Amino acid sequence: MTEEAAFVALENVSKRYETGEGTIAALEEIDLSVPEGGFVSLVGPSGCGKTTLLRLVAGLESPSSGRVRVGGDVVTGPDPDRGLVFQSTTLYPWRTVAENVRFGLEVTDTSATVAERRVERLLSMVGLADRTDAYPSELSGGMRTRVGIARALALDPEVLLLDEPFSDLDVATRESLQEDLLGIWHELGKTVVLVTHTVGEAVRLSDSVVVFDGHGAISTVVDVDLDRPRDFDTDRFDPYVSAIRNTIRDGRRNDQSTDRRFEQHTTNPKH
Amino acid sequence: MASRPSDRTDALSATRESITVAFEAVDRSSVMSGRVGRGLVGAAVFVAGWWSLASTVPSYLLPTPAAVLGAFVTELTTPATFAFGGVELKLTELSAVLLQSLLHYVPGLLLGVGLGAPLGIALGYSTRLDEYFTPAVGLLRPIPPLAWMGFVIAWVGIGHAGAAVIVAIGSFWITLLGAHDGVRELPTEWIEVGESLGVRDHRTMVRKVVIPGVAPSVFTAVRTSLGRSWMIIVAAELFGAPGLGYRIIHTAQSLAMDVSMAYMLTLGLAYLATDALFQVAREVVAP
Repeated sequence: MTEEAAFVALENVSKRYETGEGTIAALEEIDLSVPEGGFVSLVGPSGCGKTTLLRLVAGLESPSSGRVRVGGDVVTGPDPDRGLVFQSTTLYPWRTVAENVRFGLEVTDTSATVAERRVERLLSMVGLADRTDAYPSELSGGMRTRVGIARALALDPEVLLLDEPFSDLDVATRESLQEDLLGIWHELGKTVVLVTHTVGEAVRLSDSVVVFDGHGAISTVVDVDLDRPRDFDTDRFDPYVSAIRNTIRDGRRNDQSTDRRFEQHTTNPKH
Repeated sequence: MASRPSDRTDALSATRESITVAFEAVDRSSVMSGRVGRGLVGAAVFVAGWWSLASTVPSYLLPTPAAVLGAFVTELTTPATFAFGGVELKLTELSAVLLQSLLHYVPGLLLGVGLGAPLGIALGYSTRLDEYFTPAVGLLRPIPPLAWMGFVIAWVGIGHAGAAVIVAIGSFWITLLGAHDGVRELPTEWIEVGESLGVRDHRTMVRKVVIPGVAPSVFTAVRTSLGRSWMIIVAAELFGAPGLGYRIIHTAQSLAMDVSMAYMLTLGLAYLATDALFQVAREVVAP
């Protein structure tokens, strides 16, 4: 995927946090590029830095060193160019479905008629045209996630960033939302970066899967060479999933052996 | 001779069992079942207990419910004049006294909430402001409103204004902390989503996200203030500001215990009324 022009690009990016006990490296010298209109998933053990990477692209955090570029411009902060979707619980509970989707249009002073039309179109695209006046508390988790996606698309961002958006949902709802996300991606041609802890989801949806090790570095990037729509039960689907799972598991096994060595080392003085 | 522990335990559990059986019987009976029925039964048990206790002691120790009710009716019907700021109203004793307390209650609450809510939101939202103010807030907060009485008398004098300021101090801290903690507990994602959707300045963020988000916490704090302020009023009026609290103390000092208790009853009713009114108002504002 590096052959195509990079639209989202991380250039030698590191992110370190200062804590009371020293410096923690969340990301170590990451190079990554996503072509325009590409769909990339980030997977890896929890705490591996995949969410940190997404937050850097979103501009919610800034890198300790290196540069994040989107569409050629260096990212310096959050911007409506990059739509953000979290888990289903982040809708504004005092706003109705339509008002949530309208939020970005309101604060950017979009004219009321344009906003009205846009909200209508987005809500029918995510299948919620008949629930415009409902409050988030009246919706199922799947519906709330749909509203979250529509809200992120309201300002027509070039990049859609999703942080484990389906993790709260049951399997059936998740699969139908995955299909809808693919539909939206095809229709609107956005560049998508998805953080997920479900390897199957990553393989089903993305052009390529970025696998993190447990130490803030990328183990490997797997290009998924399968035609869409992809079924879970094809012969060619499973090998991708097992290969990625094995990479993650190997990373974890290495962690455990380092832990054991560390234990032996620290208990030695007693003898 | 003390009974053996096991006997005592048996007696205790037997008593507990009979009480449980009695309440279960009440629960089962069709007339008394449900919330209202249980409330009525509870109130009846309370009044019966009060009555039986009051009939064994002199009335200056505990007046009977009948005496209190009688005093309540007398105070409610005895004509009296309410005078404030050149306005004179022909009312009754009880309604005049209630109105006097409302002169402390309403302005005090408005002042306390009006200052506490915005300041609490500001401190909750701005980490830097919070750092500046945390020591002062921590130092001043535990001081009971009444401790300021000497200063309040020096600042605004004895009377309605002083009592209102004491009420204001009480509701100020409750609302400030409620708003502050409410803002602190807002999901960070709400702010981050706001930023990613084009909110560029603090003013818009506060107006569009923080204030609507923290409104439920502020409502809760105001509701707590409503109750706490009625409690503070009794103390605030001790220093010569006429009202319910003043009446409760002064009638008791002249051993008119039934009248004192009638005004205590009024205080309780006033709280229930303001709380109910607030709940209705809240439903209207934020359904």
